[in-house]
Amino acid sequence: MSATLGFGVVAACALLSAVFVVRAVDLIRAVLWLGITLVATAALYAMLGASFLAGVQLLLYVGGVMTLMVFGVMITRRHEGIAPTATDTVRPVRGAVVAAALFGLVAAAIVNTEGLDEAPARALAPLTLADLGRSILVEHLLAFEALSLLLLAAIIGAVVIARRRDPGPLDEPTEASR
Amino acid sequence: MTLSHCLLLATALFSIGVYGLLTRRHAIAVLLSVELMANAANICFVAFSRFRGGSGQLFALFALALTVAEVAVGLALVILLYRSHRDTRIDLASEMKL
Amino acid sequence: MTRPIVLALVGLFAPAAAALLLAVAPALRRRGTPAAALTILGSVASFGAALLLLADRLHGGPAALATVPWLRSGDSVIAEIGVCADGVSASMLVVVTLVALCVQVFSLGYMHDEQPPSFGRYFTYHALFLFSMNVLVLAPNLLQLFGGWELVGVTSYLLIGFYFRKPSAARAAVKAFWVTKFADMGLLFGLFVLFAATGSFRWDAHLAPAVATAVTLLFFLAVVGKSAQFPLHVWLPDAMEGPTPVSALLHAATMVAAGVFLIVRANPLFEQSETTRNVMLIVGAGTALFAACLALVQSDIKKVLAYSTCSQLGYMVAALGAGSMMGGFFHLTTHAFFKALLFLAAGSAIHAVHSNEIDDMGGLAKRMPWTGAAFVIGALALAGIPGFSGFFSKDLVLEAVEHRLGHVPWIALLGTAFLTAFYMGRVVVVAFFGAPSGEKAAHAHEAGWSMRGPLVVLAALSLLGGAFTAPFARLHGEPYALHLGVGPVLAAALALGGFALAYRVYGADRRAAPAVLEGLSKVARSRAVNRFYEFGFHRVALVVSSGLAWTDRYLVDGLINMIGYETLEGGRRARPLQTGLAPDYVLAVVLGVVGLAAWAVAQ
Repeated sequence: MSATLGFGVVAACALLSAVFVVRAVDLIRAVLWLGITLVATAALYAMLGASFLAGVQLLLYVGGVMTLMVFGVMITRRHEGIAPTATDTVRPVRGAVVAAALFGLVAAAIVNTEGLDEAPARALAPLTLADLGRSILVEHLLAFEALSLLLLAAIIGAVVIARRRDPGPLDEPTEASR
Repeated sequence: MTLSHCLLLATALFSIGVYGLLTRRHAIAVLLSVELMANAANICFVAFSRFRGGSGQLFALFALALTVAEVAVGLALVILLYRSHRDTRIDLASEMKL
Repeated sequence: MTRPIVLALVGLFAPAAAALLLAVAPALRRRGTPAAALTILGSVASFGAALLLLADRLHGGPAALATVPWLRSGDSVIAEIGVCADGVSASMLVVVTLVALCVQVFSLGYMHDEQPPSFGRYFTYHALFLFSMNVLVLAPNLLQLFGGWELVGVTSYLLIGFYFRKPSAARAAVKAFWVTKFADMGLLFGLFVLFAATGSFRWDAHLAPAVATAVTLLFFLAVVGKSAQFPLHVWLPDAMEGPTPVSALLHAATMVAAGVFLIVRANPLFEQSETTRNVMLIVGAGTALFAACLALVQSDIKKVLAYSTCSQLGYMVAALGAGSMMGGFFHLTTHAFFKALLFLAAGSAIHAVHSNEIDDMGGLAKRMPWTGAAFVIGALALAGIPGFSGFFSKDLVLEAVEHRLGHVPWIALLGTAFLTAFYMGRVVVVAFFGAPSGEKAAHAHEAGWSMRGPLVVLAALSLLGGAFTAPFARLHGEPYALHLGVGPVLAAALALGGFALAYRVYGADRRAAPAVLEGLSKVARSRAVNRFYEFGFHRVALVVSSGLAWTDRYLVDGLINMIGYETLEGGRRARPLQTGLAPDYVLAVVLGVVGLAAWAVAQ
């Protein structure tokens, strides 16, 4: 009972903040609302017994991604004041219809699947951290190593893409760069 | 709390993310929506792992790492877009237009 | 291969070989004389074969038929080609090849003034024509006959329009072609009905009465066109634009006779329809009288002979309508000889005075005795003076029609006999007797032997042809006995009377004429039938064709054009989908996902 209540609160938090993410006019606010959504997700992980994952989520997402986003927003603001950047939405009806259609279809599929909520045949052993560690470093070692390679590539790629090419300060209004 | 509850929540979050993807004009706002969608997918993984067993958590971990990499590169692209057009509207990326 | 078949094949292919050789060797053709030699050689071979074939048949040899399959449908053979050597084809073949040979020899002299290339072309056409006619005559079934029929139509177009640089000649050739082509639809549709009813093209099928009437009436339409019966006679006078030897061949003896030959050939079918035979009787007798009237008022000697041919063909058609195959066919034979004679003699006269008009001639008998004698003999035979060949054949015709349809056709034909003698007498008196009317006539001189020879041959046949009556009858299975009943006596009297009247009217002052002739002349000059056709063509046929052309251009073509246009338009309208804007592509991706979800849910 309490589990359900707890779930309900967390779910409500997540949903509400997600809506604000996509509807907020001020970009910084949108980023912050995303942060709240991610925190709620972490809480959900914890409730689902994935405590390690919850921790990683907080660390990487809330800590890393959010920070990157804030930096991005700051870099791409115009110099004239701290005016809100162009965050208005276009054609909300079209987007809403498509999103609603998607939700409707998948939700219908979920609801109509029988036996989704039955308990499994044998009781599941909860996944411990040791199990997780063993999975990473023994069974899926290749994937793990490939992932680290990918991260390296991403770092290098991001640097190469975003490096400065033209001389002078970034936000000089008169200079066209093309 | 049942599997279908979790899945419905994930679907809802994903749909909200789709809405944002289609509607927002600022490049970073679109990235935020994409984050939302990836996050929703992760919830699905973990939920299935909890209720059906399997290596869902592991996948979620990897997906998380991948998403972080994707954000980094995506932001770099946004910065590049901003540098060329001095604006961040996503319809500025229209060199393919006739 | 039996002897008759071999002979038939020689008769068929000798002219074909000449034509083929001349067609592929233009150098030979353009030299002129070699072309003539080759063609005449082919015709001699053909005539020789025909004579031998006839001799065989007269001595009681069996009829022979040889075919090879031609059109197949799946496993069955629909049609065959080959040769048929029986009494009918043998007799006709002799007539055709003999007249063709005479005309070709005559042409050596008559066409002497032509340039060698034209001369060669002329003889090539002759070879082609003879081949086409033989295909028709020797046909073992009606489909091959139709093939020969159409070939004859084409080659006659070439020959009539020989002086193609002359606009009137070109028009005359086209007119002949159109009118006969229109009539040929009858033959074509008749063949369709025949095939639908019996599954073959044989002429000895037994049909239901209605089918028999339909088929034979359709065939008769073709005959009306080809043999220039009213109302499709309009092409024949115009066809006189061709060289006179061509008129002798085509419009006396062979091409126009093809229609009559069709009826003779398909006689088993025609016997099965009383309706058609009555129609034939009426049309034949009517045409005979009508054409004879028009012949009275023509001043061009060839046109007189042309209308005369129409009239005599009417006799043949009427005889066949009355059920006498023997009468119709024998008259065809004698007519071939004396009409060709008349045309060739006229040609000789025309060659001498360089004009077709009888008023430009006069007194030619004195200056051109051979030609004069030939023409007179031909005229007497045509009129049916007793003793000449025409008398015997006309007698058979009159005998056949005497008691049919209340004597009306018989009276018409008797009247025609009178008129025939009258108009021929007119020509003889005006052109060959009396004083020459001008310089040219005064200086006319007899033709060379190339032109005289054929005249002699044909004159002999016109004179003595009566002797062939009995063998001819025997060949076609009917006994012959000459009775001198009311008919023949009356006809002979009328003929003599006609000549006498002509002498009296035209002998003294050749331009004097009874008032009734003035009226007839007006009728002839009104060209009523021709104007009717012109109206029909311009108001009806052209309107219908314009409508059909519109349908073809805008509906049929329009449909295809629209398909092409819509394809391009569709592409043009679809192009805006590719905007080049990223957000639109994102939408496309998301829509794709939604689609997949929908599909997955539906499973």
